[in-house]
Amino acid sequence: MTVKDHSSADDQTLVRAAQRGDMAAFEELVARHRDKIFARAYSMMRNEEEAVDLSQEAWVKGWQRLRQFQGESGFGTWMTRIVINLCLDQLRKQKRQRTESIEAMDEESGGVERHMPVVTVNPTAGLERAELRQRIDRALGQLSYEHRTVLVLHEFEEMEYKQIAKTMGCSIGTVMSRLFYARRKLAALLADLKKQDSV
Amino acid sequence: MRSKVISVTSVGWLACVLVGLACAELPAQAAEMKLQAFLLWGTDERKPPEGKAYNPVSADIRQKLKDLPLKWTNWFEVNRKDFVVPQGTTKEVPMSAKCQVNVSYLAGSEVEVSLIGKGKETLKRTQSLPRGEILFLGGNAPNSTSWLVGLKRIE
Amino acid sequence: MDYNAQLKLQACLDGELPEGEAGKLAMTAARDGEAAALLEELRNTRAALAGFEAEIQLPESREFFWSKIEREIQRSEAPAPGSAAPPLFALLRPFLVPAFALALVFIAGVVLTRPTSPVRRAAAADSETTLADAGAFTYRDYSAGTTLVWLSYPADNEVAEDDEMGTVN
Repeated sequence: MTVKDHSSADDQTLVRAAQRGDMAAFEELVARHRDKIFARAYSMMRNEEEAVDLSQEAWVKGWQRLRQFQGESGFGTWMTRIVINLCLDQLRKQKRQRTESIEAMDEESGGVERHMPVVTVNPTAGLERAELRQRIDRALGQLSYEHRTVLVLHEFEEMEYKQIAKTMGCSIGTVMSRLFYARRKLAALLADLKKQDSV
Repeated sequence: MRSKVISVTSVGWLACVLVGLACAELPAQAAEMKLQAFLLWGTDERKPPEGKAYNPVSADIRQKLKDLPLKWTNWFEVNRKDFVVPQGTTKEVPMSAKCQVNVSYLAGSEVEVSLIGKGKETLKRTQSLPRGEILFLGGNAPNSTSWLVGLKRIE
Repeated sequence: MDYNAQLKLQACLDGELPEGEAGKLAMTAARDGEAAALLEELRNTRAALAGFEAEIQLPESREFFWSKIEREIQRSEAPAPGSAAPPLFALLRPFLVPAFALALVFIAGVVLTRPTSPVRRAAAADSETTLADAGAFTYRDYSAGTTLVWLSYPADNEVAEDDEMGTVN
């Protein structure tokens, strides 16, 4: 018995095979897109273990819903939408369980969205790529979940304002405010981190 | 199998008993609710702006606000109104030129509160409001200040 | 530069403005030092984020990660162990149990929300908040008996005054 080699097939072919029940084809799709799905979950959750669990759950859901995928977008994009929705559900659940601290309320209520830091034209000047990645990683962790989510959906998922508003269940105005705040805060955090590390 | 039939029957009897209790309870519901609404202004300034005769909030309200995760240090009372809402009706309570709160007394302690700002409904909330409890609805105001509408059941 | 103008600048950068408006705004920004600096900051932040996720890798081997997914798929597809309920009961049960449960919930709500006794404080959970815009969240302090619903709009919203003093009249 020969085992079919799926490694050279394109995504479309693999999806069609998987839709007919070919688990090996689905496994190849998982192998190709697992890092991207995990990265998206990690950007949103900021916790490696949770991101692994949620991306695993996303893949199981992907298999269960595979018949619904008609190729209207790339398979990878379709999967990232599944993992994003799972992450949003999890974040909302965690938010309900969390006692709001003054600081969290400050961040999330928009009470601080008017208090913008001074403009830092180029917060990443002079940083090596690896160092920049590390700083962005730390800075993303310091944003509230709402601000970080809007940033991830816009910058990484490349969603339009309208799509983000629909995904997050808020108005376009709220999306714009949160995105603006998230970007300004990120720039300030990167500049601060640069200052701290050089002292 | 048999235990499932029994459990459904037990649930049915329990439901009947509770229906009886509820019927006995219904006549005892209050026919109206006495409420107090107040509009507050939150700021880090120690005094209200020139020309505005706002008083600092009362000590009990100040204490309640301190327990909330709000960052403003000083609160002033802009307006306060006592009113009565008969059960099954809605009372419209203007709090300022551009802010109104509509309160509907539903049943028991349940109220539906709509916040109208500049003619538009910005919020609607349904919840239980027992005596002594306060529902605050709030948001940001210009110049790093804030507003709060408080609704308290007084009788 | 006021806040709305800053948001418009961002929208322009993100390609969310109509072409004509975007062109006009770009020209205005070129003449305004503050706007130009802000636009540059937003551009640089966006550039810094580009490709950030590309180097993130799942910290599990291909085989191990797949084995968990495969196991979960097989578990979810396995037929549930059968239990032979009598046909009539099986037909009625989906309707009976939810109907009784609903009746119990309604009756419990009526019984428990009597205001007359201080002991029987309203234990009914808050109903869902219906919002004109879902930019609000709720904080509840059970011991103090307060509920706060906070609208996370920027200051220039439907309720706040927009006069210079920023007072609520």
